[in-house]
Parts: sequence; C-alpha cells; structure tokens
Amino acid sequence: MVLQFDGVHKRFGSLSALDGCTFEARPGRLTGFLGPNGAGKTTAMRAVFGLLQLDEGLVTWRGSPIVEADRARFGYMPEERGLYPRMRVREQLVYLGELCGRTSSEVSRVTDLWLERLGIAERAAARVDELSHGNQQRVQLLAALVNEPDLLVLDEPFAGLDPIAMGSMAGLLQELAATGVTVLFSSHQLDLVEDLCQDVVIIDHGRVVLAGELEALRAATPQRIVDIHYRGPAPAWASVPHVRVLESTLGSVRLEVSRDTEIAALVSATTAAEEVTSFTYQPPTLSDLFTGAVRT
Amino acid sequence: MNAANQGWLVARREMRERARSRGFRISVLLMLLVVVAMVVLPGLLDTAQTTKNVGITGATSQVVEQALSDEGGSGYAALHLRRFDTAAAGEKALRDQDIDVLVVGERRLEWREKADPELQALITGAIQVSTVLERAAAAGMDPNTAAQLLAPVPVESVSIGAVPGRSADDAAAAALMTVALLAAIVIYGNLVLTGVVEEKSSRVVEVLLARVPAKSLLGGKVVGIGLLGFAQLAVTALAALITSMFVDSADLPAVSAGVLAWVLVWFVLGYALYAMIYGALGSLASRTEDAQAVAGPVGYVLVAGYWLSFMALSADPDGMWARLLSVFPATAPLAMPGRIALGATAWWESPIAVVLTLAAIAGLVSFAGRVYQNAVLRTGAVIRLRDAWHKHTEEPQPPLTPPLAPPTQKVTNMLTLQRKSSRWPLVLSTAGVLVAVVILTVTSDVVASLIALLVTFVAVRALVQHQQRGHETPRAPRSG
Repeated sequence: MVLQFDGVHKRFGSLSALDGCTFEARPGRLTGFLGPNGAGKTTAMRAVFGLLQLDEGLVTWRGSPIVEADRARFGYMPEERGLYPRMRVREQLVYLGELCGRTSSEVSRVTDLWLERLGIAERAAARVDELSHGNQQRVQLLAALVNEPDLLVLDEPFAGLDPIAMGSMAGLLQELAATGVTVLFSSHQLDLVEDLCQDVVIIDHGRVVLAGELEALRAATPQRIVDIHYRGPAPAWASVPHVRVLESTLGSVRLEVSRDTEIAALVSATTAAEEVTSFTYQPPTLSDLFTGAVRT
Repeated sequence: MNAANQGWLVARREMRERARSRGFRISVLLMLLVVVAMVVLPGLLDTAQTTKNVGITGATSQVVEQALSDEGGSGYAALHLRRFDTAAAGEKALRDQDIDVLVVGERRLEWREKADPELQALITGAIQVSTVLERAAAAGMDPNTAAQLLAPVPVESVSIGAVPGRSADDAAAAALMTVALLAAIVIYGNLVLTGVVEEKSSRVVEVLLARVPAKSLLGGKVVGIGLLGFAQLAVTALAALITSMFVDSADLPAVSAGVLAWVLVWFVLGYALYAMIYGALGSLASRTEDAQAVAGPVGYVLVAGYWLSFMALSADPDGMWARLLSVFPATAPLAMPGRIALGATAWWESPIAVVLTLAAIAGLVSFAGRVYQNAVLRTGAVIRLRDAWHKHTEEPQPPLTPPLAPPTQKVTNMLTLQRKSSRWPLVLSTAGVLVAVVILTVTSDVVASLIALLVTFVAVRALVQHQQRGHETPRAPRSG
C-alpha cells in the first residue's frame, strides 16, 4: 500500500539525474522529499507520472508497476505551475477531473466543495488570469485534488506562499493525510518539513542519502545537541569528555555531544555558571541531519 | 478511462474554448461577410448593366421597333428605345453616353467607341427578321405563315467535359476546393501549432500529461480543431448556398456527389496529415515566435506541393507526374481531388492513395507522439528535431566491466538490440510496397508490381528468419 521507488536510474546524456534511487512513501503520512537543487527531486516526481522514460528500475504503487488507471487516482502539482490562463476556474477544474475518468457531475461536486473550502467559490466563473497570485496558487492545488487522489505528489508546494497561505496549506496537507492519502512533497523549508512530516527522504546527486521516519532518524544519530542559556562567566564545557563547542556567544552556547555522554557530567559542569536560564538536550534537527547528509 | 475517451475530452475542450474566443467569432463573421459579399456583389453590378438604351433615327418601320421591343423582353438585356428626330441629336446622345447605340435608318449602327457584339447581333437580327417579313408581305405571303417560317429553332449548347460523367463545373469546383483545402490546412494547422506552443509556454502541459498520454493530448487537439474548422467551412458554404438562392446571380457549379464526397475525404486526410506535423513541430518551441520559424518549412512544402500538382494536372491529368503526385501522401490531398474531378483516375488509384496516406498518418501519429512526448516538457531554446526523436532511445551505457555487470543490465541491452534489428523488416516492407505502388502508377503494369511485392515478401521473410537465428545464440555484449 505504498509508493515505492526501486533502484530507479535516469540519465540525461552524461548527467545522472537519478542514480539507483530507492525509497517509499506510506499512506496516511506526510513524506518530505528533500535535497539540494539539482539533486533529482523533480525528475523523481515526474517518474511517478510517467513523464519520462526510466533507464532502469521501477516505480510501483501498491506493489505493482504504475499504469494509467493508477494515475487516474494520483494528484500532481508540478514545480512549474501551469493552467490554461484564459479558461474559467471551475470549468478548468472540472475538465482536469474529467480527464481522470470521473463523470462530470462527480467532479463538479468535488470541485464546488473545494472551491468553497478554499474561499474562492465566488471566483469560480472568472478566468484564471484574472485571479490574484494567491488565488491562482489555490486553483493550482485544487487541480491536483479534483480527482480525490489516493496519492498526492507536490513539487515545492510552499514556494512563493505568504506565511498565512503556508499555514493553511500545511493544515490542508495534514488533513488529507489523516484521511489516508499518501502525500509526498518536496521543499527547501526544513523547519516546516520538520514540523509537518512524519517521514523524510533526502536525496543528493540522484541517490537517497537518508530516508525513514523523522523521529527515528533523529534518535539514531550518535550526536546530541545541547543548548544552554546562562548568565555570568562561561563554564569550561570543553573540558568534559566528548563535548564539542559548536557555537558560543555571551550567555548562550551550543554543544555537540556524543549520545553516550553522561548528562550528569554536563550538568555539573554547567552549574559553574552564575545562573542557568535554559538547558535543552535533543537529537539533531532535520536541518542538522540534512547538512550532515548532503555534505560531500 | 481509455485514451480515446480522454482524446475526445481534449477535443471537446478545444472546440468549446475556441468557439468562445472573440478572435474565432470575428473570423467566422468576417468569412461569412466576405462569402456573402462575393455572391451578392456580382448580382448588384450585373443589374446595372442589363438595360441597354437604343437610339433610333431616320426612317424606321413599325415592325422593326416592334421587333426590338420584343427582343428587349425576351433577350438577355432590357432594351429601352428612344427616338431622335435628327441623326445629329442621336449622335450627341451617343457621345454623352445617354444611349449605347444609335440605329440610323435601319441600315447603320453607330457606337461611341467599340461595338457591343451581343447588342449588335440582337439589333441586326431584329432588322433582318422585320425586313424579311416586310418582303414576304410585299410578295403576297400571309404574315402568319411568314412568321411561322421565321420562328427560331431552339439550339442547345452543352459542355460535355474532358471525360464522360464529369463536367467542366466539376473540374472548376475541384480546383476551387483544392485551394480551400490548402488554405484550411495552413490556417487550422497553424492553430494546432500555436495551441501546442501555448500549452507548453503556460506550462499546463505537465499537469495534463500527468493524466493523459501524449498521443491523446495531441490527437484530441488535432481532432477538436479539425471539427471546428470543418464546422466553420460548412457554415460558410451553407451561407453561400442560401444567399445564392435568394440573389440568383452567381452560377453554382453543378458538382457531382461523387466528386464532392472524394473532396471531403481528402480534406480530412490532408488536414490530419499536416496537423500532426504542425503539432510535433510546435512541441519543439517554447514561444510562438520560435514556433513560426520551426514550422515555416511546412508552409513551403505545402505551397510547392500545390503548385507542382497544379502544373502537373494542367499539363496532363493522366501523366506520370500527376499520377505520382496523387499517390504520394504529402501531395495526394492537393493532387487527387483535381484528378478525380477530371475523371483521370483508374478505379484502384484512389483507394491506394487513401491507404498510403492513412499509413503515413498512422506513422506520423507515432512520430509526432514521440517527438511531442520528448520535447514538450523541455522549455527554453528551440529543440532540434533530431534530439527530440533520439532522447527516447538513448542507448543505455554499456556495462562498465562485463563480469561485474548485474544480469538485469544484460537483459536490457539485449532487448534494445532486438528492438533495433526488428525495425529493418518494417523498413524493408514499406520500401517494397512503395516501389510496387510507383510501378503500378507509372506503368499501370499490375504483374510487375505484384512481382515487386513478392520479392519484398521473400526478402522480409529471409531477414526475419535470419534475425531469429541470430537471437537463438545470444550475442556477447559489444564491450565484452
């Protein structure tokens, strides 16, 4: 019951866009698809929709290779946004839904619900190029939703959104995942992905460098990050074994310690400070994982 | 949902959205106005010319005047008679263009500049008849008997055309419709071209291709625009027909139903053929300006094809060139309707031309679909046709070191080898069939063309067998 990439290779001339890419996205969960520019994210997403011919490997859905009938139950928002600029909003959405094999009445019902839900029902008869940028983004998202997809693939859905739109997009994706939809989306906003996603896949140069449940990945790293805010002179943290000072400013310090380091030793070293205002001990953030994984 | 249903949805959208656009409505209206004007205007200009003023001076018998007014009633033009007391007054009226001709004493016709032969014949005839009647009466003949003797014998005048069953009207209509076909291919082909580029430049094409195969998207677009174009032509033709029924001025060519049916068939085939080419070329460009440059050569080919066909057909509709051009798919839509109208085709020529053109269309659907699929998601500079074609079959890199290569890679390599070699029988059989058709059309020698087909069949069979033997003993990878 998953979307699975199995040893997928895709070359463009001498460039290897996907180089043995293997990972999966599970239903009912948000999977963040991360990687630096040119890592192969868009190529991988296009492969799900058969938009390019793979050199090797397979993309499967629920255990078998993807066929047209499966794609009728997929939703896709490409990185390059695009709609017919002169077509009316509602007609365009109904048309895109019908292309997935839905009857016109079915699609109309779903479209109207979504237009209402995203607050653009009164613009339904307007041409797309008459809409504001934000509303065009909403219609673009609806284009991926009108066929009530089981799998939603979104390429940079948060790019170009204002903070409020970002919040509602995030809420919407969580809501969809809660109904059992498999959601895979790419993003460069690591904080957002960390808050939102249960699973992450990080690729670099066409290879998956890190993939799995975010919490488990974080817990499995051998490092821990300790953030301490204090007043008074800085205690000698560096003297504690296995401690590395990452950042140090007046009144705050970030330490990297090994998972096996005794917290008690750290705490006792810290007590040298005049007053400790905060002390956090946690596994590395997604951002830390990312920079560690794609560093070459 | 199958590809055909999706194609139909695409076609329906094309028709609905285009029919709704202001540009399309204006073009329909303009075309209607032009056609109606073309039917009505000659009629208006004609009526201004139909009354002729005839001046009469000198001694004239009542009979001549009577005959002239009778002619005016029955002939092509209404004659308006005016009497002048002196020749000088009459000549002044003639010079002032108040009258068209001056009849002087029944023996002389005076014109301002050049004689109007029809009017001259009319008046001369009337004078002859009335003079003979007067002479007959003088000779004591009963006026009624004399009139009966002189009653005109109706003589019909008919053009039978170059071949039985086809009139000159058929040929004229075919020529007209070939021009219309050329115009329609260019106009609607260009709509397909810009439509493809618009989808590419607005990037909506990626959203569409995620749900619809490239073939359905391109095919649906071609069908939709074609149906719309067909509807526009039908409406225009109907408007011309209705107008001419009311105006009754223009002579509609009496086209035989058979010729008309064939013209329609070639209309559809010609459009389909070239629209596919336009669609494929459109996907190579990301901007409309680039698209015009990319598709320019197609326009040259079309116009050149039209002129070649026109010249070959006017020279000899049964000649070798006319026959070749009318079976060659790229020129068949432009040459065949004319040949059919002229009745110059053998019974098997039309079906062969249709089958060849259909085969070419089928090939082009594959070709255009592949080019389109490969090119349409690549934006930026114009893509070369060769690149768009080859991207698909880009050869997998040979395994780095054969002993370490995983078995799956070997299989892929062999599969490509097999697919590559299996193309040759198809190429060979196509070439053989083409040779046979050329022999048949040029020499009309059925036996020779059958021999060519037989040779092709044997050669293809041998090739296939050879290939199968080759595959039984797997070849080593090239790099090994």
